[in-house]
Amino acid sequence: MRLLRNAWIFAAMAIVGAAVISHSAAAQDLSAADLLNPPASSWPGYHGDYSGRRHSKLTQITPRNVKNLGLAWAFQTNQNAPIKSSPLVVDGVMYFTVPDNVWAVDARSGHMIWHYTYPPNNGLHIGHRGVSMYKGSLFFTTPDAHLVSLDAKNGKVRWNVVIADSNKGYWTTLAPLIVSNHVLVGVSGDFDNLRGYIRSIDPETGKTQWDWYSTPPEGTPNSTTGGMTWMTGTYDPALNLVFWGTGNPTPVLTGSTRPGDNLYTCSIVALNPDTGKLVWAFQPSPHDTHDWDAVETPVLVDASFKGHPRKMLMQTSRNGYFFVLDRTTGESLLTTPFGPVNWALGIDKQGQPIPNPAKEPARDGRLIAPDEGGMTNFRSPSFDPSTGLFIVNAHPSYSIYFAKPEDGTYGWAGADYSLWGKGVLEAIDYQNGKIRWSHELGSGGSGAGVLTTDSGITFSGDAYGNVLALDTSNGKTLWHTGTGAPMLTSPITYELDGRQYVVIGTGGVLFAWALPQPTE
Amino acid sequence: MPGFPKLPNEELASLIHFFDSSSMHAATDTSASNTSAPATGGPLFQQNCAFCHGRDAAGGESGPDLTRSKLVAEDVAGNKIGDVVRNGRLEKKMPAFKFSDSEMASVVAFIHDQTKKATSRPGGRRGVDVSDLQSGNVAAGKQYFQGPGGCASCHSPTGDLAGVASRYEGLQLEERMLYPKDVKSHVTVTLPSGETVLGTVAYLDEFTIGLTDQTGRYRSWPVGAVKYAVQSPVDAHVALFDKYTDDDIHNLMAYLQTLR
Repeated sequence: MRLLRNAWIFAAMAIVGAAVISHSAAAQDLSAADLLNPPASSWPGYHGDYSGRRHSKLTQITPRNVKNLGLAWAFQTNQNAPIKSSPLVVDGVMYFTVPDNVWAVDARSGHMIWHYTYPPNNGLHIGHRGVSMYKGSLFFTTPDAHLVSLDAKNGKVRWNVVIADSNKGYWTTLAPLIVSNHVLVGVSGDFDNLRGYIRSIDPETGKTQWDWYSTPPEGTPNSTTGGMTWMTGTYDPALNLVFWGTGNPTPVLTGSTRPGDNLYTCSIVALNPDTGKLVWAFQPSPHDTHDWDAVETPVLVDASFKGHPRKMLMQTSRNGYFFVLDRTTGESLLTTPFGPVNWALGIDKQGQPIPNPAKEPARDGRLIAPDEGGMTNFRSPSFDPSTGLFIVNAHPSYSIYFAKPEDGTYGWAGADYSLWGKGVLEAIDYQNGKIRWSHELGSGGSGAGVLTTDSGITFSGDAYGNVLALDTSNGKTLWHTGTGAPMLTSPITYELDGRQYVVIGTGGVLFAWALPQPTE
Repeated sequence: MPGFPKLPNEELASLIHFFDSSSMHAATDTSASNTSAPATGGPLFQQNCAFCHGRDAAGGESGPDLTRSKLVAEDVAGNKIGDVVRNGRLEKKMPAFKFSDSEMASVVAFIHDQTKKATSRPGGRRGVDVSDLQSGNVAAGKQYFQGPGGCASCHSPTGDLAGVASRYEGLQLEERMLYPKDVKSHVTVTLPSGETVLGTVAYLDEFTIGLTDQTGRYRSWPVGAVKYAVQSPVDAHVALFDKYTDDDIHNLMAYLQTLR
């Protein structure tokens, strides 16, 4: 029955296009319709809506009044781990995470409602991107690669299932993507020669619905492993396609045992969310030997490209290239670097860079741009529809890469050292890849994601712990404040009781910014 | 199928802890070591350090190989490692970790144990040996130094670089050659009164300029309130990145290694 109802909603969406489906008033009941058209009072998924644009229609905070922005509230996690998650906001409650921890706080005041702690475990605790929600339940991935479903009202465990075997070297960090009655999860684990996969899980029972593997089984001769799926994908309801990035091949820094392109590692794949069947794939980094996961947000934009209306997918990839694809077919529309790159011989007919064999890691070292952290990484970019600007926190950088037969062919299989890098916020014109403005973020680079709003503001953060509000049209600073720790989160915004909040985490603190209220 | 149906949190916690600690113990127990500290430190290292430094401490994403670290080699019972772990190395993006004394001791023991294991199986290691960096040509490197590299406009083989290959070797020398990370920039700040203040840059973002003056005192100003000029000779190294060939680097390295 639920399936039928959702199917009907998707059919209706396809027919009426952007028509607004009225928001269900039931508290803590996030419906598939809410995920398709998030109310302004919410931020119901990792990217906000399904498009990955991290753009809000809210306009209360404007370039003119943003100078008055002040602290509405702050929430202290009192944890070692820095916040790297993107919060959800549903029905006035905010949910966010660090590894092993989920909090529910009042989105108006920052007061804690509940705190869930996952039991001690030996998984890798490198970071956590946040929870996802469907109806009254939250879905939380753990360092030891379990998926835990919590009751959103009180944080009580509904069920707990294993996604992957952490003893083999898998771990999980991502916020699942909810599509209809599918909870889509991906896995991490490139320190071992393991297969990457996307799993669809039933939100009610925790049962696996399907698996899609990015690489062949371990031990397949002359073949790759890897292709981890550690970042949340995006979704086009009209095409009924999910878009997901996959990670690097393994062994990581040597390609000696894995000749060829190593499909589907370092790829953007389009899958049918009901069956897990691959519809098309595009590979930003064929035969990668530099750890450049192509998992950065596949941003979905409907707009004109060279005079023709197009349903596009855009990605600023870790390998230093900006890609524009037709997301119906995967056809390449534009491939262009967005910073210094020196590892490709050119671009092939499919729009994919051709790796230069002379730039594979070697015994005496190879100078490589960008470095292993990449020209960008998991921090979210944003697309601003009114200016047509794709805004990304970029990391021009250089490094040296080494590999030799003694390093073996398992896991890392080499060594690399970053030499230099800096952070630059870049506003890319998607029509031609030209950088319309850039804003320096400081030495070493910044881990901050980007949010744009309809009023023309770009929110992000620099390398030193300053939160920034910039004018989207020209990149000039309109407002800033020092927060005491570098920002490793991507900002969100929502409006409650007529007040717009912008929420940003730095260090172990979540900050909510808003304009002063008349009574203050 | 639910993994752990209807178990209260505490029971679930102890169950999972039991399973994980026993499996982890088995994994670390394959060594000949009888010490329990490395075995306890192993899981802590896996959770907190392994992403950057590798599960075997021999290097991972972005973090160096600790089994060949000079600091680890000089460490006695955590007297060096402890400081780095507690304070982090923020300039290198390493965060600080708040371990208890016993946790720290076990992590330190794990790192030393891994170093011992790595040393006892040469050849199977990642990382860079001095012998790996000998592919260049000395004469070509000298010519690059004096000619197209432009190195000689700031450096001299008989001046600042005299004996450089005795002070540094291998990867450390190459990294310093390509970009010496610890070089300070100098700054001249002109106050509205016309007074100038000289010093080394202590802090600079788009809002604040901070310097350490000749007396060691820290002073700062909003950037809009003063004029300032930064002299950053190290930028010449950045300017070379998109000009070097790999051969240039190997040749330059061969030449620098003759400056003993």
